[in-house]
Formats: sequence, C-alpha cells, structure tokens
Amino acid sequence: MTTTTEDFVSTLQNLGLGGDWEWKNGSWWKTPEAMDVRAITALLVLLEARFVAISATERPDKEVSLNYQWDVKGQLLSFTTATTAQHIPTIADLCPPADWVERETHEYFAVEFVGRENTKPLMTRAGDPIGINLHKEEVK
Amino acid sequence: MSYRIPIGPYHPALEEPYKLELVCDGETVRDAVMHIGFNFRGIEYLAERRNYLQGITLVERVCGICSNVHSLSYCQAVEQLNGSAPPERALYIRVILAELERLHSHFLWAGVAAKLIGFKTIFMACFTLREKVMDALSAISGNRVNYGMNCIGGVNRDILDPQAILNILDEMEHEITRTIIPIFLEDRTVASRCKGVGILTKEQAIAMGAVGPLARASGVPQDIRRSAPYGAYDRFEFSVPVETAGDVQARLVVHALEMVESCRILRQALSTLAEGPFHTPTPVGARYKVPAGTAISRAEAPRGEVLYQITSNGTEIPERVRVRTPTFMNMATVRFTVLGQDLADSPLIQASCDPCYSCTDR
Repeated sequence: MTTTTEDFVSTLQNLGLGGDWEWKNGSWWKTPEAMDVRAITALLVLLEARFVAISATERPDKEVSLNYQWDVKGQLLSFTTATTAQHIPTIADLCPPADWVERETHEYFAVEFVGRENTKPLMTRAGDPIGINLHKEEVK
Repeated sequence: MSYRIPIGPYHPALEEPYKLELVCDGETVRDAVMHIGFNFRGIEYLAERRNYLQGITLVERVCGICSNVHSLSYCQAVEQLNGSAPPERALYIRVILAELERLHSHFLWAGVAAKLIGFKTIFMACFTLREKVMDALSAISGNRVNYGMNCIGGVNRDILDPQAILNILDEMEHEITRTIIPIFLEDRTVASRCKGVGILTKEQAIAMGAVGPLARASGVPQDIRRSAPYGAYDRFEFSVPVETAGDVQARLVVHALEMVESCRILRQALSTLAEGPFHTPTPVGARYKVPAGTAISRAEAPRGEVLYQITSNGTEIPERVRVRTPTFMNMATVRFTVLGQDLADSPLIQASCDPCYSCTDR
C-alpha cells in the first residue's frame, strides 16, 4: 500500500529488515547483491511472517532468478536472488511450506535446493524429466 | 499394529484426483502423506507461450470453481505493468463477480461438507442456493463457470440491471440466515460430527502458511481484501469472520459468516454501482506489447490468497507467469489435522480444508 510507505519501511527496519525497500507493481522489492536466504528465512519465521511463494525465472546466463515472497503484516515482501550453477540452499527445513514450492521449482526449472534430504517429484512422477518450464528445447 | 491405507487418487474424499496415504493404529490416524499432481496441466508453461489476450482465457481454466479470480489477478498484474487503471465502474463489477463467485464456491463447499457429515437436507439446500448464484452469474456474464468477464483495463460486460441481482440476493440472504447459519452454528448433529475434529492450531496455520477460511478458522485474521485491498474493496464495509477453535466446526462457521459478508458487500456494490465506462477506451489486442518489468497481483479467492507474478520482456508474450493458488498452501496442513483422528473422519477433515486440485496442480 503506497499510502503507508514511510510507516511500513520504518516497521521493516524495526524488525531488522533494513535497507532500501521500494514499493513497485504490487510488492515491496529488495534486491540484495548477496543474500543469505537461510538467514532471512530464519528471521522472517521468527517474526511470524507468512511464507507465500518462490517464483523462478530463467535467466539468459542459464541461471535461475528466484523471487522469495513473504507476507509481513499484510504487505508482500519480495527478495530476489539467483542460483549459482543452478544450486541454492534450501529453506524447507526452516519453513515447512517451502517444501512443495521447492519441489515444484526443481521440476520446472531444474534448480537444486542444497541441503534437502530428498526432492521427491510433486507434480511429475518418478523418472519424468526435470526442467519442464525451461525455454531451452534441448532439455530432455 | 500399524497399517498403511492408500486412499485415491480416484475420489479420495472429493471428486478430484489426489492421493493420501494414511498410517493407522487401529482406527486412529498416526501419519499422513499427500500425493498431488494428478491434474497437472502445465498452465504456467502454456501461459508463457501465448499472448496476453490468450493468457486471460487460459488462466481462467486453472479452476472450474474460482475461475474469475484467476483472470482477475492476471489482468491486475498486467495493468500494473502497463500502468493502466480500470474505470471505477469496472472495479465495482469486478468486486460483484468476485463475491458472487465466493458465494457459489462457499455453497458448494458447505453442501459437500453437509453430505460428508451425513446431513443431506442441508446439502440440497446449499445446492439450491448455489443455483441461484449461478443464475445471477449467468445473467451477468452469459456463462455459469468461465465467465470471461475480465479484460486488461476493465471488464467485458456491463451490469445493466443491478436491481435484478439485488432481488436474488434478498431471497438468498433470507435463506442463509434462516437455514444455513442456524444449522452450522447450533445444530447438535453437526456439532457432534465437527466439534473438536480435525484441529489446526493457530501456530500450525502460521507455520504452514495456511490461507483463507482455513487460516481464519484457526484464529489467523488475514484477508487480502482487507490487508491489501484491490478493485473497489476499500469502498465497502465488511467484517472478516475469525474463529479460534481451528476445528471443522470453526471452518463451517467461518464459511457461513463469510456468505453473509459477501451478501453485505454485494448489496453495497450493486446499490452504489459507479457510473461511467466499464473498460478503458482502447481494448488490448493480440499484438499488444506490455512494458518490460515484473508485477505481482494478489486477490482473496474463495479458498484464500491467490498470487500471480508476471514478468514481461516488452513483447506480446509474457516471459514468466507464476501462479500460486490457495490450496497449494492449505493441503499440506492435512497432515496435522488428521493426526490422532478417527479414520472415518478423515474425508470430512480433508474436505473441511476446502481443497481444489484443479488449482493446486495447475
């Protein structure tokens, strides 16, 4: 909500989520250069923020941009980071609802979530190809 | 001795495909594992290969119950990207469609719940009322399920006779308060099947990211219409019913009270329907290019928060369309709600989460 910008940014800073926040196109956005997804997740879980989603987008350099979305006091926060060699640490052990989201992101974009005990198929079935949403035709 | 019962994927509790493996000691459920994906259609993949106009039609097919909220969220996200603001009348009509959709979804759910409870008279009463709502939706849009009402920049059809919808609403509200509410809130048979059954605590609801009536029945007062209003919701007075027991009965109560609140919103929207056009002057065509960027739209579907994230690369085809549906978050809670419960209650407990696998699997 644009009308509460200053108050809300102040609230975020009080919660320990400082930095530059920008309200744009339906969400509060923050794009840190190097983001520790596990540290931010641990903090947000502690604050009783509600995990909403991870939205993946394929990048031209073959990495996958990952947008982590959380609801804090009714406002949507979006943290954007990217995989390194298609790998990123899991948050499913810290935040149980991320389990299904990570599993489908693995199936759609072939992202490996490091630290998971297993990544069982969710939408597909055992033996099906992964990376089904990637725009690369060579993916089998 | 523990034993494992596979239920589904055909008709496990509802007429939608999913599979549940219940580990039981005697008649008591000790663990549950959910399997989904039987209705996976690759909607996100398909939406990234169609233009924005075709995308509206596609996402409306994500769900056969809450179809309108998907096209609404999609259009809202595109409108954020292209900076267009739908006219005031369009915002009102969007609210009217959304609340009629909530009513018919809640009637459907209440009817199914009543059938599983064994109270078939209420099942029939709910489905009779649902028909009235669907008649109203049909009168407005020409369709009973996929309404085709939302377009980028407004809605495709006007509401020409709000009074006719108000008349239907009078009859429906009378029946809700006379029949549905007393039965769900006070009836001993309903209470004996639902009270203390399938409890989801507030802490579990928050931890699992539960949304919608399921979360509100566990004491989590979240509703996107209130916390991040969209359309014309900030013009109307309404309450967000919240219960704290977290059991099946609390879910019944929340759904029933939400029906009343939907009627309240509809009455305000229909009687103060803004004058003027119902879409922007230039309709978006097939070759319409959306400015580059990423936008997120959230809406409160009948089952809870729906999220659409659309990334445009400046062409007429979206680069990424992300759809996160409410049941995707809610169904994982079944593992908690069936624990320690009687096996015979598990269909009702599953159904009380108001699941939709068409949405979940996309």
